[in-house]
Amino acid sequence: MAYNFSPDSEPTTRTLLRQVLDTAVPRTPRRARSTRSGAQRDLLETPSSRRQRSQTKMTARRRSHTATSVDRLARVQASGHLEEQTPRTLLKNIILTAPESSIVMPEAVVKLVPSPQVVQPSRRKSSRGSLELQLPELEPPTTLAPGLLAPGRRKQRLRLSEFQQGMDWGHLSQEPRENADASSLTSSLNLTFAMPLQPQSVKRPGLARRPPTRRVVDVGTFLQDLRDTSLTVAPPGESHRTPVATVPMDTVLEDTQPFSQPLAGHSPSVHHSLPCPSPSGAKEVEGAASRRTRSSGHGLQNSYSGPGKPAQLLARKMEEVEAIAMGLPNTSSVSGEDGIEPLQNGVGEEAEESMEESMSVREVEKAAEEQGSARAEEPEGHTEVAAAAGSLGAIEAKEPEGSSEDEDTSGRLASPELPPSTPEFLRTRRLQFPEPAPPPSTAVLPSELPKHLSARIPPRPRIPGSRPRQDPYKAGLNHYAKLFSFYAKMPMEKKAEEMVEKCLDKYFQHLCNDLEVFAAHAGRKTVRPEDLELLLRRQGLVTDQVSLHVLVERHLPLEYRQLLIPCAFSGNSVFPSQ
Amino acid sequence: MALSTTVSQRKMIRRKAPRGFLKRIFKRQKPHLRLETSSDLLVHLNCLLFVHRLAEESRINACGSKCGVIKKEHVLAAAKVILKKSRG
Repeated sequence: MAYNFSPDSEPTTRTLLRQVLDTAVPRTPRRARSTRSGAQRDLLETPSSRRQRSQTKMTARRRSHTATSVDRLARVQASGHLEEQTPRTLLKNIILTAPESSIVMPEAVVKLVPSPQVVQPSRRKSSRGSLELQLPELEPPTTLAPGLLAPGRRKQRLRLSEFQQGMDWGHLSQEPRENADASSLTSSLNLTFAMPLQPQSVKRPGLARRPPTRRVVDVGTFLQDLRDTSLTVAPPGESHRTPVATVPMDTVLEDTQPFSQPLAGHSPSVHHSLPCPSPSGAKEVEGAASRRTRSSGHGLQNSYSGPGKPAQLLARKMEEVEAIAMGLPNTSSVSGEDGIEPLQNGVGEEAEESMEESMSVREVEKAAEEQGSARAEEPEGHTEVAAAAGSLGAIEAKEPEGSSEDEDTSGRLASPELPPSTPEFLRTRRLQFPEPAPPPSTAVLPSELPKHLSARIPPRPRIPGSRPRQDPYKAGLNHYAKLFSFYAKMPMEKKAEEMVEKCLDKYFQHLCNDLEVFAAHAGRKTVRPEDLELLLRRQGLVTDQVSLHVLVERHLPLEYRQLLIPCAFSGNSVFPSQ
Repeated sequence: MALSTTVSQRKMIRRKAPRGFLKRIFKRQKPHLRLETSSDLLVHLNCLLFVHRLAEESRINACGSKCGVIKKEHVLAAAKVILKKSRG
């Protein structure tokens, strides 16, 4: 093989590389390859020149000379094992693996670093040269960093080395050792990588994978503490509730919605909306109200004056009970409830769960000194009240508050230190059945939830006796009401949906009457499809152009179509048989 | 029975006919009459078409009053027209 040997006496890139490779301990496959390549070179070349690092200074001059020769040499040598035999690639591999070695064996790294730098292409030579020069002098490799970062490959290597270092940095025990080694010529390259990282060694490097420690336990213990405190406070609260149920309704007005005119007179100070538009059963209402009062009472308290006196609390609760009881039927026809309802429904569960927390939190706060913070929040609540009170526009205010409240309530569980009064206040406003299960037994909540939701969504009849007729009837009508909203393709109000149900009711009556007439006209006592077809024809749906079968195919699913439209099957049979 | 044929919407619209519900209504209204099984489906079809027309009319009313939401008044006005139409 013909090799363009540069004068052996002078330290060439090749020789330096050889030295580096020889000295480097093969750790990685790349290393092995590089060492192999180095060995190859040794075999191929005369290992006459074993240059020391002191001679690296001369490499700067040699680089330009030997670059091409080295490249040619590398290419010649590339026939063998490695896919890349150029000194450049070899050095690249070395550099990539250099940090690892540097951490463990600084000497090897030190040796490695200069050689790779030397052989780098011209673009990097300048930086490398500076590196080399700096190596023995331990100059700050400030120039290295930009020079290294400029080339794309350098970036990759940097990242890799940083990554490697980052991984190694995870082992803090090694860091001091590394730092100590870095004091010496821990390879300029490593220094370049290390320099920015060494100061960060104490901190978490950017590539750290350790997850941040979280104080999860604190929240759990806090919640438990809350529950304990609430449990202790619950019994006395309940005992007080029942006897006070006879509070006059006038005092309840605080909780009424702004648009509930008859009761709105007293609302301004504390605007607690009772967004229970759908008329609920009296029992359920009061039951829910009683449950609600606790939270609303708390909220009221906090919103008003903050002093957590149990007596005041209970009084508020009673008022709220009455307000809710009164507010429900009055607010059924208020506009804008529709918007609140879905929000309330959505927030209901969260609110309930959070109410429990809030309730317990409130108890804790009263006991604690957080009244100060509560008072700070009271102004907020007051401002909110002032803004919302006595205006229909309050509904819109409630909704964004409700949405923010959702976040608050959800966040409450996580951060117990949330301003209690404000979210409570908001929650009480929503008061959509904040069944805050005063005995904060979570078991109670789930039982309350379905009751509430079921009570809320379909309008329940007041008379329990007529319920069996109402519920399935309403369920069926709901089916068609949903179809209405589907066909309309536009948002609808809840009142409009109720109107649709009324129309459907009327329509069914008309339908039955007509069918009876038709059947009687045909002298039958059963209604047959011919009667229905006649009805459709009279309604103008079936014309000479549009036949019944067309309508059936258009609107009914396949299974029904098969039942209605006679179809011929094999064997000369028709289904349904005529 | 298929609950929905090809409903590619956010909310699932049941295409199933509430046959029991319809029969119960008919029985409650006209206990002396009987409803045949196939006519049950046609009653459902009739209801669908009624609701469809009602929705269309309500939508027209709502758009006529330049309102993005269907309100009670729109539905009421539409119902008057459609009920008269489907009187038979």
